[in-house]
Amino acid sequence: MTNSIPEIEDCDLMMVIGSNTTEAHPVIAMAMKKALHRGCKLIVADPRAIWLTQMADLHIQHEPGSDVWLVNAMTNVILAEGLEDKTYIEQNCEQFEAFRDNVQRYTPELAEKVTGVPAEQIRTAARMYATTKKAGIFYTLGITEHTHGTDNVFALANLVAITGHLGVRSAGLNPLRGQNNVQGAGDLGAHPDNLPGTQKVADPVARARYEKAWGVNLTTERGLNLTEIMTGVEHGTIKGMFCMGEDILISEPNAGQLEAALNHIEFLVVQEIFPSETMRFAHVVLPAGCFAEKDGTFTNTDRRVQRVRKGVEPPGQARPDWEILVDLIRACGYPTPNYRTPAEIWDEMAVESPRFMGISHDRLDRDGGIQWPCPTEDHPGTPILHIDKPMRGKVLLRAVEYRPPVEPTCNDYPLVLSTGRVLYHYNAANQTVREMGAVLKVPNNFLEIHRFDAKQLGVTNGEKVRVISRRGAVEVEAMVSPRMKPGLVWMPLHNFGDPSNRVNLLTIDKVDETTGTPEFKVCAVRVERLAA
Amino acid sequence: MSDTFTIGIDGEQLPARKGETVLQVARRGGIHIPTLCADDRLDAAGCCRACLVEIDGQRRLQPSCAWQATPNMNVKSHSPRVQRHRETLLAMYMADHKLGADGLPIHTTQGNELRNWALETPHKKLTPVHSPRKGRVEDLNPYISFDPELCVVCAKCTRYCDEIEAVNAITLTLRGSETTIATHGERGLLDTTCELCGGCIDVCPTGAMHAKQTPRFLQPEEITKVRTTCNYCGVGCQIDLNVHKGKIVQVTAPPVGETVNDGNLCVKGRFAYNFVHHEQRLTTPMIRGADGELHPATWEEAITFAAKGLLRIKDQHGPHALGFVSSSRCTNEENYLVQKLARAAFGTNNVHQCAAT
Repeated sequence: MTNSIPEIEDCDLMMVIGSNTTEAHPVIAMAMKKALHRGCKLIVADPRAIWLTQMADLHIQHEPGSDVWLVNAMTNVILAEGLEDKTYIEQNCEQFEAFRDNVQRYTPELAEKVTGVPAEQIRTAARMYATTKKAGIFYTLGITEHTHGTDNVFALANLVAITGHLGVRSAGLNPLRGQNNVQGAGDLGAHPDNLPGTQKVADPVARARYEKAWGVNLTTERGLNLTEIMTGVEHGTIKGMFCMGEDILISEPNAGQLEAALNHIEFLVVQEIFPSETMRFAHVVLPAGCFAEKDGTFTNTDRRVQRVRKGVEPPGQARPDWEILVDLIRACGYPTPNYRTPAEIWDEMAVESPRFMGISHDRLDRDGGIQWPCPTEDHPGTPILHIDKPMRGKVLLRAVEYRPPVEPTCNDYPLVLSTGRVLYHYNAANQTVREMGAVLKVPNNFLEIHRFDAKQLGVTNGEKVRVISRRGAVEVEAMVSPRMKPGLVWMPLHNFGDPSNRVNLLTIDKVDETTGTPEFKVCAVRVERLAA
Repeated sequence: MSDTFTIGIDGEQLPARKGETVLQVARRGGIHIPTLCADDRLDAAGCCRACLVEIDGQRRLQPSCAWQATPNMNVKSHSPRVQRHRETLLAMYMADHKLGADGLPIHTTQGNELRNWALETPHKKLTPVHSPRKGRVEDLNPYISFDPELCVVCAKCTRYCDEIEAVNAITLTLRGSETTIATHGERGLLDTTCELCGGCIDVCPTGAMHAKQTPRFLQPEEITKVRTTCNYCGVGCQIDLNVHKGKIVQVTAPPVGETVNDGNLCVKGRFAYNFVHHEQRLTTPMIRGADGELHPATWEEAITFAAKGLLRIKDQHGPHALGFVSSSRCTNEENYLVQKLARAAFGTNNVHQCAAT
């Protein structure tokens, strides 16, 4: 997030696009509800009529995957009506002309044809956003889980920049990140292109820092992202894997193909807290402590580094992941120090990373969470990014072209399948399937479907149906729902304890080229009655 | 009216800001006024009457939680008239409340503000009224329970459900001494709009709304609270693990205004901690044997086996034939170590995690 969670309640307008906030980020949704209670306006752009649409001033129900058209058309309206922040553009943006020439082709009337959203609604949204100073944009996987996810983000960034919403309190561009430490894991270098502190592997200065600190020569050869590692397993170029805290067979797309490939892996180490699907293929299993059983830090979605503290002992012989990792690294022949506490690991990292240099466990214990960048010990942290000027100097406005999703519907697969989260479960649901409340509320996987489509298929609410894509088939209960758009069906991404009906047997493993994020949000399926 | 000014409370001049209530000014100035229904997240309700004060120029006592501070106002929060009111009010609450063997409102695991108030205030004894207030008998939800005998009808729970969580699952019903907290049609919470966030438990001053999974009458010294960060989504809510005899018995939110979640939690953060002590947790290292099954091993055997296996791949196929999958669920320090394992020990950049958002 460019801005912070505590600023949300002071927003005068929120545009929530591709985020089912009340279910995926319930406590941020409470901050949003507080803003609404105060009189803040709300625009929701989502193909589903999610909970927040009940409180929205405007619900834009666009076609899945048509975000670039929608956002570019809003930008088009703003420029056509002169609502842009001309001073901000002049002082802080570059390549404006090329960008403007591009969006001129994205008129609201043409957008209506692709997005299905009335042109006048797009105009209203654009005017509301451009004329409100404290207007924040919030997005989640609905924006990023597309083969053109990066384009979606660029289009939104353009919209934020040309209206001068960057570096302003209660405004900005705010991705709501999905996992407790997805931000931190990337920040700390669990990324093929980045060393700790989001320093590029390609940057010789950063590389030299860690080469000196670790006493090794670092390879500059490009690393593989998760999806590429999985493809490598399928093609036989990846022979061995270490896998910690992710059930890849549940979480990755096109799981059927991946499962076949894992049969051929030569060596697999799995470090986990519960038995998992992936564990069936492991050569060695290392039992780990969960979050309540260890010390450390997580970094949340507003870049806030916060302490994790041990409350209880791990069960049996299980040990905190960091302790296991130290032993493993040393057993692999690299003499990493025998750290006594995670604070020492943090210090080793932070001393080479300008973004984190001012943060230590001691300081977090004393002051509470600190938002990076925090370069020195007396630096207060950074609640709002880009506050005086954009961090890279100028905002590079990009001409973003619409690209359709990779798998269009056809006669054999006439429906669009999208995926997402439900409130009561969490991701692979390894934890929440063991929770009574979650299981009582949402016991099984299901398919949400519009009543028109259900009627056409002769499907009634609660009836078991077969959902079929080019990659697999699953059997789940149909939930006939007024929240859907005709032609669109939806399934949760969780594994409800029965891996045979998980949605990732259906999803497509085509990815965004920049991020490696798969197109979980759009693939083509057909639905059949079981009786038929 | 300027934005900052002073008001007099009990003879002291205290700084106030426009829009603040008398209660807020008093609290900042270190003056203690008892409250049951006040919460900074909620609109003032002024319904519990515990915080009534004497304000110059006002004929009646007024609720300090709802009364806005204005320049030059003069407030008495501990005058004989206010004290008389509080003693009577407290006695009325206690006559309509379950009392313990010590004749005071009972202590619960989450405290009881009525008991704290009774401990610090002299009070009269009135004949118990045995109000006919009812709870829901058959509510099968596993998390939230309501004990009408401890309810003081401050409506904090129903206001939280309306104003903060905005699902309006619970509401005040009936009238007079029968007034109670109920759902539409007396349904169990699972069959209402309730999202099981448990905010109603968090705001309840007396422990009437309580967590079903938690022992009800633990003393503070039997619980160790450990402040940590929630392990579910990316909001980073701060939580307090309430540990009793080596097990988590409850998760509570830190006080309002202290952390990023402002005293709020969701169903997962507050209640979904049972996985921690679940019997299916992995507890022993395991190595796959020649029979194709996983067998228990010692840590030394497992670590050596893991290291040898990874090194063998590196020797035979080069470091780039290895992939390291780190985890967005694990700590920063652990992610640092996984990438160090990949880069420093093996010399490959093939390290990633499920960074889809």
